[in-house]
Amino acid sequence: MAKEGKKSSTLDEVIKELYLCNKCGFCQTACKVYKTDLNESFSARGRVQLIKGVAEGRLPVDEGFRDAVNSCLLCQECAVACPSGVKPHELVLAARRYMQQTEGLPLDKKIILGTLADPFRRKVAFSTARFLRNNVSNRIEGFNELKGIDVRGMPIDKVGFIDQVPELNKAQASKGRVGFFVGCFINHSLAKTGHAIVKVLNKNAIDVVVPKKQLCCGTPQNAYGDFELAKKNARKNIRLFKDLDAVVTGCGSCGAMLKKEYLHLFADEPEFLPEVEAFAQKIFDFSAYVMHEIKLDPEKFKVFNHKVTYHDGCHMARGLKITKEPREILKSIPRIEYVELREADRCCGAAGLFQSYFYEIAKDISRQKVQNIENTGADIIVTGCPACVHRIQGSLRLAGKEQKVVHLADLLAEAYQ
Amino acid sequence: MLTQAVIKDLTAIVGSKNIITNQAGLAAYGYDATLMSQRPVGIVFPRSTEDASALVKYANRAGLVMVPRGAGTNLSGGSLPVENSLVICVSRMTRILEIDPKNFTATVEVGLVNFDLQEELEKHGYYYPPDPASYKASTLGGNIAECSGGPRCFKYGVTRDYILGLEVVLPSGKVIEVGGKNFKSEFRYDLTRLLVGSEGTLGLVTKAILRILPKPFAKRTMLAIYNKVEDASLTVADIVAAGIIPTTLEMMDNLLINTADEHVKLGLPRDAGALLIIEVDGYEVDLDNQVRLIEELCNKADVRSFKVATSQAEADQLWLARRTVIGSVGRRRPSYSLQDVTIPRSTFPQMVDAILACSRRYDLPIGILAHAGDGNFHPLVLFDERDADEVVRVHKAEVDLIRDALALGGTMSGEHGIGVLKKEYLDLEFTDVAIEAFRKVKRSFDPTAMLNRGKIVDIAAEG
Ligand code: SF4
Ligand code: SF4
Repeated sequence: MAKEGKKSSTLDEVIKELYLCNKCGFCQTACKVYKTDLNESFSARGRVQLIKGVAEGRLPVDEGFRDAVNSCLLCQECAVACPSGVKPHELVLAARRYMQQTEGLPLDKKIILGTLADPFRRKVAFSTARFLRNNVSNRIEGFNELKGIDVRGMPIDKVGFIDQVPELNKAQASKGRVGFFVGCFINHSLAKTGHAIVKVLNKNAIDVVVPKKQLCCGTPQNAYGDFELAKKNARKNIRLFKDLDAVVTGCGSCGAMLKKEYLHLFADEPEFLPEVEAFAQKIFDFSAYVMHEIKLDPEKFKVFNHKVTYHDGCHMARGLKITKEPREILKSIPRIEYVELREADRCCGAAGLFQSYFYEIAKDISRQKVQNIENTGADIIVTGCPACVHRIQGSLRLAGKEQKVVHLADLLAEAYQ
Repeated sequence: MLTQAVIKDLTAIVGSKNIITNQAGLAAYGYDATLMSQRPVGIVFPRSTEDASALVKYANRAGLVMVPRGAGTNLSGGSLPVENSLVICVSRMTRILEIDPKNFTATVEVGLVNFDLQEELEKHGYYYPPDPASYKASTLGGNIAECSGGPRCFKYGVTRDYILGLEVVLPSGKVIEVGGKNFKSEFRYDLTRLLVGSEGTLGLVTKAILRILPKPFAKRTMLAIYNKVEDASLTVADIVAAGIIPTTLEMMDNLLINTADEHVKLGLPRDAGALLIIEVDGYEVDLDNQVRLIEELCNKADVRSFKVATSQAEADQLWLARRTVIGSVGRRRPSYSLQDVTIPRSTFPQMVDAILACSRRYDLPIGILAHAGDGNFHPLVLFDERDADEVVRVHKAEVDLIRDALALGGTMSGEHGIGVLKKEYLDLEFTDVAIEAFRKVKRSFDPTAMLNRGKIVDIAAEG
């Protein structure tokens, strides 16, 4: 239903920033969705101008508006390119929140976001998906792909990682202790990466604590404007890790959420904010922790005869601003041949629900990633985000390619063999 | 609003994915990089010249005025929709049809973004010299329509100098080819040069044969920083007088140094009065001499510091600052009026004085940006579009700046075109007889003003 002419408080808060946009269009090249679809409503400038139209009551919230706002990858490339200092992705978040408040989320999104936020429903959902994949899609000849997502190749673990490991994973002769924030993806479909993270930390004499009650970081809820639900989980997560001095994440999106977005989320609660700040301070991406806090000893690695390249996830590169660490770690492994990937820090096409709602554009974006990977000649692609691991591996597989995509921790765990 | 029947017919030509008629879509195509806006009734994306021709023929029959568009980064309102118009957006015609290094040409569809072409050419060791500040976003079609310049014009010229041939859909829908791959040919009436810079009022360009050049062997990028803008402008005059032709000679004043540095974070001195970015290219052996000469001239004008970039990365950062400086003024005031007045280079210092005086007269901050080598100024008048009194003063300042440029023997538009923004000032520069000649040209191509109506000049529609 179209709601016309109504001004919102959420959009009022960002009106000043909406006026900052002088429509120069310089963000067009930065916006992968625009570069792929070449339609102004799907560009950063288009989104900003449409949101301004709604904020000023000149435009209704209709299908076209929703598509413009929902087709944003939240990759933040536009903010880097914008000379005026506009942050279009933040305006998109405000618009999504406005839509969530004024008209609620569509049922499918509501169910997905609610499910991810609730540990029990989440478990049921992933095991159902596993069952369906094993018993239905795998038995249908030629059923490989659903809207560009590699269904058959998508791993879903039978028992979540959190339930596979003890709460305290002790190292021999331990020198320190960290918490491990696992995140939904590692928990349900990349348990092996979870184990790899624990192994690498243990090898370096660090005990790893995996609090059993940890919840989804809140990225999906935050991305689609359900701030209340995101906050509810955030509060619990913050308390749960209270006694730990350092918390490692193995996912750029979780990391950026915990370290950066929580601060935005609680900006309106000054009494709680100090606790959020303290929490944010102790969040480390796996690569940053490994490089700065424990300082790997390359002598201990086995020789690794591979040509390797690295893909930066959006939230890793522009949320957490981590780009140097993973590359330096990779280059330190003996005999590895490291090649740089063209457009390494551009979105792979996953972007949460984007890949299923705008699958044609997503497929095109992934195709570009696959092509760039081909051009490097690398046989292993390393990244720090589980969602990218799946998306890129899936796209490679669907394109009939052999290259393997692994998390940085997987590679390091193997290097310790 | 388009009727369902018209929508159906248009869809039959371009396919359902290449037509937009929803409200949000119309709003998103209702603006360019100016402050103006006007929603069209529909947007169609031709995929080929055949599509474009069919669309133009159909729009004629349906009585729809057509507005050609590329990336919509226009600074004079040339790509802005007019009332009841159909936008024909070439953004999806992005193919590079041929790169022919042996003949120094590239043939492209005009929806291709300038930067994307440069990236391809780079692989062959070539480049396409016209590179307006918007080159990462703007299409070659837009560059052709506006006859865009860019920082390299001083030595290398403007878009018109690099267009060898065009494929054009005339306002009737018929397709013609003008020019070709030959470097020389007696064109009689040189339609190629007439079409370049005609702001999409004479025809819809779909393909272009561009002249490309091998990349220069070597380059030096220099940064000269001054205490006073007048000192910088003295250097400009001296370099020109000494007969040195740098590739580029760009000037930014104090205000722009500050906003650019906030964006790019180069660590420029915030109290400097002005800076010059000077680049020379050519054979390695010649360059040191040129740099030495330029340094001497800078010193003569009391330069505060003079530096040669030591790496490509350092030079790239300088260029990033320069290319994004216009947008960066958004950090000071929300709106700006941007001119592109151009004067004979030897009068550069007088124009700087005129801009400073104008800023004082109307009590408005004006940033001075200039392709100094070309005498092409971009005075940026900063204001807030929501402040009515300021808007009045901005208009007065605009007229004064044009008058000042004309008094120095200059022109009101160096590279952004007339569009709708500068239409009202046309008679300051041209006589009635000249303007009537413009109208005659327009009429001979497009007697009923179906294509980009109301841009550059109005003609009475003779039905
Ligand atoms: S968001 Fe920034 S880069 Fe994009 S059009 Fe607006 S001002 Fe320009
Ligand atoms: S965040 Fe990414 S997808 Fe969204 S508008 Fe910006 S560049 Fe485009």
